[in-house]
Amino acid sequence: MCYSRRHSPWLFHMNSGSCNGCDIELVASLTPLYDAEQLGVCLQGSPRHADILCITGPVTRNSVEAIKTVYGQVCGPKAVVALGSCPASTNVFIDSRVLEGPLNKHIPVDVFVPGCPPRPDAILQGVAKAVEILAERRTNKAANGEELA
Amino acid sequence: MNLTSALARLLIFPGLLFAVPIAWFFLWTERKAVAVMQERVGPPFMQPFFDFIKLMGKRVPERSGIGGRLMKALPLIALASSAGAVGLLPVLPASGGFTGDLILLIALLEVPSMCLIAAGFSSRSIFGEIGSSREAILSVAYNVVFLLAIVSIAAAQHSFRLETLAQLPASPMRWLGVLAIFVCLPAKLHLNPFSVANAEQEIYAGPLTEYAGHELALWNLAHGLEWVAATGLVATLVTPRVGIWWLSIVLFAVIAFAVVLLLSVVATWTARLNIDSAVRFYWRCALVFIVLALSSTLFLRLHS
Amino acid sequence: MKMLTMLLQNLRRGSLTVRFPARPAVSEDYRGLVCFDATRCSGCSMCAFRCTSRAITFRNSKTDYKWSYEPGQCTYCGACVEGCQSNALTMEQACPPVYLAPGALKTSYTIQRNPPAPKPAAPLPAQGANSAAGDAA
Repeated sequence: MCYSRRHSPWLFHMNSGSCNGCDIELVASLTPLYDAEQLGVCLQGSPRHADILCITGPVTRNSVEAIKTVYGQVCGPKAVVALGSCPASTNVFIDSRVLEGPLNKHIPVDVFVPGCPPRPDAILQGVAKAVEILAERRTNKAANGEELA
Repeated sequence: MNLTSALARLLIFPGLLFAVPIAWFFLWTERKAVAVMQERVGPPFMQPFFDFIKLMGKRVPERSGIGGRLMKALPLIALASSAGAVGLLPVLPASGGFTGDLILLIALLEVPSMCLIAAGFSSRSIFGEIGSSREAILSVAYNVVFLLAIVSIAAAQHSFRLETLAQLPASPMRWLGVLAIFVCLPAKLHLNPFSVANAEQEIYAGPLTEYAGHELALWNLAHGLEWVAATGLVATLVTPRVGIWWLSIVLFAVIAFAVVLLLSVVATWTARLNIDSAVRFYWRCALVFIVLALSSTLFLRLHS
Repeated sequence: MKMLTMLLQNLRRGSLTVRFPARPAVSEDYRGLVCFDATRCSGCSMCAFRCTSRAITFRNSKTDYKWSYEPGQCTYCGACVEGCQSNALTMEQACPPVYLAPGALKTSYTIQRNPPAPKPAAPLPAQGANSAAGDAA
């Protein structure tokens, strides 16, 4: 099972107010030069289908509820990758009044991929790291290790 | 035909045990062919197997009420009917087992689409509803062509039995029918250019949006078995019957694989049509097919 | 039909993909992590002033100053490197690495200030002043 989880990471991408630079680089990682599909990565259409949630953007006030809802909708063992400097630390928007702070204030983040925007190969490295973390997780535990009902 | 041989045919060969690896192989072939044509390296060989195992290990969201029970049951129904459709294929000539009937095969091939439509509506998500209504409209459109093709092939050879059809020599009507079936296959298998039901950019994941875990694994497996059954149908109708039994199995396999590759090429070549264009295409196709079929029948009748 | 010929060409050419974990090379002037050379720093704090995202922070005290840099906050614009008068900052030509905990890549340096130059002990010699006054007169 761990082996299968390591070889079949399904991604769901969510934008929490980013400038779209990181989103473009994520989609660029599916192009022939970087080809995420060689790792088995598939960009899914529904959060329920995915294991890894890739979030870009500093978390704006309007998107906090959406992020938490989508995080709750991802099933089973899951991992979160924060793409770019924005979710790690709100980057250049540090003084903005409409932001709700870095992403790990709201959901547990496993891997941070720095860069503005990160290169697609850096994104793939981040996904590979998240996949390793995911493969060790058991189905019944939440992301930070506590037992779920 | 007795119960044991029927069960053996359903579960072992060419039923579940044999068809499931073939389904995974066909799914991999399609993804790899699309990748290679796009100058990428595709997924590794065991990818659909890994996806299946991984999905079995995920938690499923709780469902409640009648809709919930329906959602849990539908993938099982879809899987059972596509496995049955595969079991009906006469891979081995004169093998006994199910007395394969073409109409039964078509009915069993329809059930997964119906289950998909029901799943989208019973999931009570807007994306599911839109996807299911698109799938329903598309299903009506391509089924006209599909059923016309099947009926014309059967009527031309005066038999609805798959084994009889497989053994009779081909006629122009059969080639026309096979061409029409091939045109319907992308819609049935949710490939470009008729993949409007699971258009990711527009409706997230379409009818299967709320599914997860082992239910999703079963849906994907049912989809893979649909591939096997549909390509097997085309291969049954196309393969020339050779006397040696293993050679005809090999030919069957080769032709099914060739159909998979052809479908991948069509999927990479074309873009997704929206629902209006897709339905218009199939209605025009039906018209063309009717004209050709009638005229060729008249022509043959006049000649003989 | 052009699409079909393109597909056949792609089939013949094979894949362009760089296989994981190899990575394609970065370009010449790629802006990666900021590297600090403590020996060259003059403590002007121009970099902290120019930093667009407050990734570089500068804390001053009488005897030393602390320069710290948080790559997770950095936007890799290069303004600090351009503004540094003493060439103490350069940008690495490689992608910043992936990290697992917030603040894991933060670096900080505490640099001692040079002690102030000692005041001159004796006043300037008187001869120089008299001769200057003598010439002027």
